[in-house]
Amino acid sequence: MNEPSPTATDVQVRVVATTEVAEAFFQTRLEVPDTTIRPGQFIQLRPRSEQSIYPFLRIPLSVAAVDVQQQTIDVLYEQVGPKTTALRHLAAGDEVGFLGPLGNHFPTPEPGAVPVLVGGGIGVPPLIYFGTSLRVHGYEPILLVGARSANKHLPDRLLAPAAADVRRASDDGTLGHAGFVTGLLHSALDEPLPSPVVYTCGPHGMMAAVARLCAERDVPCFASLEEYMACGFGVCVGCVVERANKESLPSPYGHYARVCIDGPIFDARQIVW
Amino acid sequence: MTDLRTNFAGIELRNPVLLASGTCGYGDELAPFLDLSRLGGIVTKTITPEPRAGNAPPRIVETAAGMLNSIGLQNPGLKGFIDDKWPYLAALDTKIIVNIAAPTAALHAEMAARLDDVEGIAGIEVNISSPNMKDGGMLFGCSPTASHGVIAAVRAATRRPVIAKLTPNVTDIAAIARAVVDGGADGIAMINTLLGMAVDWRTRKPILGNITGGLSGPAIKPVALALLWKVHQAVDVPIMGLGGITSAEDALEFLVTGATAVQVGTATFVEPGGAADIVAGIESHCAAAGMARIGELVGTLGV
Ligand SMILES: Cc1cc2nc3c(=O)[nH]c(=O)nc-3n(C[C@H](O)[C@H](O)[C@H](O)COP(=O)(O)OP(=O)(O)OC[C@H]3O[C@@H](n4cnc5c(N)ncnc54)[C@H](O)[C@@H]3O)c2cc1C
Ligand SMILES: Cc1cc2nc3c(=O)[nH]c(=O)nc-3n(C[C@H](O)[C@H](O)[C@H](O)COP(=O)(O)O)c2cc1C
Ligand code: FES
Repeated sequence: MNEPSPTATDVQVRVVATTEVAEAFFQTRLEVPDTTIRPGQFIQLRPRSEQSIYPFLRIPLSVAAVDVQQQTIDVLYEQVGPKTTALRHLAAGDEVGFLGPLGNHFPTPEPGAVPVLVGGGIGVPPLIYFGTSLRVHGYEPILLVGARSANKHLPDRLLAPAAADVRRASDDGTLGHAGFVTGLLHSALDEPLPSPVVYTCGPHGMMAAVARLCAERDVPCFASLEEYMACGFGVCVGCVVERANKESLPSPYGHYARVCIDGPIFDARQIVW
Repeated sequence: MTDLRTNFAGIELRNPVLLASGTCGYGDELAPFLDLSRLGGIVTKTITPEPRAGNAPPRIVETAAGMLNSIGLQNPGLKGFIDDKWPYLAALDTKIIVNIAAPTAALHAEMAARLDDVEGIAGIEVNISSPNMKDGGMLFGCSPTASHGVIAAVRAATRRPVIAKLTPNVTDIAAIARAVVDGGADGIAMINTLLGMAVDWRTRKPILGNITGGLSGPAIKPVALALLWKVHQAVDVPIMGLGGITSAEDALEFLVTGATAVQVGTATFVEPGGAADIVAGIESHCAAAGMARIGELVGTLGV
């Protein structure tokens, strides 16, 4: 699984279907020329015609599922603004600009390790693809999912391919553990798991709490970060995150790493939370 | 077929389309998406005498028909550029213009002199216009005297064509243009970004870590055209026009208004291969109009 990342291409792809899978949460299936995408990589979609200039920038989205036979990929997203609204309203057969795959991918754990995937809100999609791929390679991941409330939780059928063991938390207590997903992680790390490795994606505050907990327990933790992006392929230097251990860098130039090309996945100890 | 070859202040360009500073890095990240040899040239991300970390994030946010950025000139510094970035650029089959900025006129000159030893650089673009540099950039570009000082110092220090990149954030851009030409600028590039700001009223906080940033993209094209028109009337040196260009038609509008060449900036973030499409579009539009040379179009606005 640790092969180099495939080269990105800039193509037009077709929408197969869009369905609402949870409240204001949509799944769009795209027919793509090449399904060589590593778990954790993302794509930049342009959900408008080239003649129109609104919304102007592309939308970065993680890949949530890949179907090699059907030559399709799925993205899962919450409708929050102009770009997610434009994407959601594309009809089957419509074209959308597709740039990708972009960024690095989740590192594979040591054989025998137990991957613990901790996702919150819009951070769950990349963990679904990663969990699915881990199982193909013989791992038995545990998936911990947090959302604001029951109606914001993705349905079982979408999460099932990623893990046999799915545990849920909701902020308002309407489904699963009442409270944050970090509560679930606390309990999971109390279990006698053989060499757990944590992979997390979600709101910044959630990932920071996960990183802190892992540091306390001396558990390796990899976080998939989300920052505002313009280009998505490294030229604008807009999507940065501050690095820890700046003293070890040759010059101040490296203080900030680009999430889109140096990431989006970072060892949680290597960045400032 | 229209002959697209363009001489810009002594720089022989294959065609009049370049990539703008800060929107194409140092070329390497774009190469998978864009054949750089299709372009007239590229202008590298601003380098400063010493490496810079840049501003605290968030550094970008989308706005109506454009975006704000407050990158703050994160760059490897002059030495890092020459050692690590130049070898890749030198091997490209396109003209490379190196964009520089520094806190003083003397430091600008030192950079230009050092770059004079590097073989293959086509020209020096002087960034006296960045709104994201607290110790230079727009600080110089807002004053005719300071602009003149920086450009004269660079002119005296290099054998290469010197291009002054102007800011739109001034009351009288023609006065700045005259000052840089008087200081010895061989050409002008305009415009850099417009000072802008985005606010989240719920959190009552600015969105950018730097509070303000620079506005770019289609939103600024009308401003760029109006200022280009003013400067074209004020000075005789060639002008590279930029600001919101996303299509061949946009580029042609700049040429008609008085630009000898154009730069494509923010549009590359959305269409990484777009500049090559703009070249192709210019070619087909001009051929259809029966033009022998692209120069026939420059500055032909009838008013
Ligand atoms: C690498 C990467 C992968 C992503 N994967 C997914 C995914 O799989 N599913 C999904 O639903 N979303 C994902 N996102 C976030 C998604 O790109 C944004 O929600 C989207 O750009 C919002 O666009 P909009 O025009 O609909 O809303 P906007 O009006 O742009 O934003 C609506 C709200 O979301 C916030 N926001 C916008 N962009 C970001 C961002 N990049 N990071 C944090 N907050 C942001 C804004 O502050 C605002 O409050 C990902 C982002 C990145 C960088
Ligand atoms: C993210 C970003 C970074 C930029 N960095 C620089 C820079 O380092 N030096 C510079 O002279 N201009 C810089 N610019 C300004 C552009 O070169 C250009 O002048 C401006 O964006 C207007 O053109 P556009 O609308 O086509 O982008 C930057 C612009 C953007 C959007
Ligand atoms: S989004 Fe442009 S460098 Fe990351």
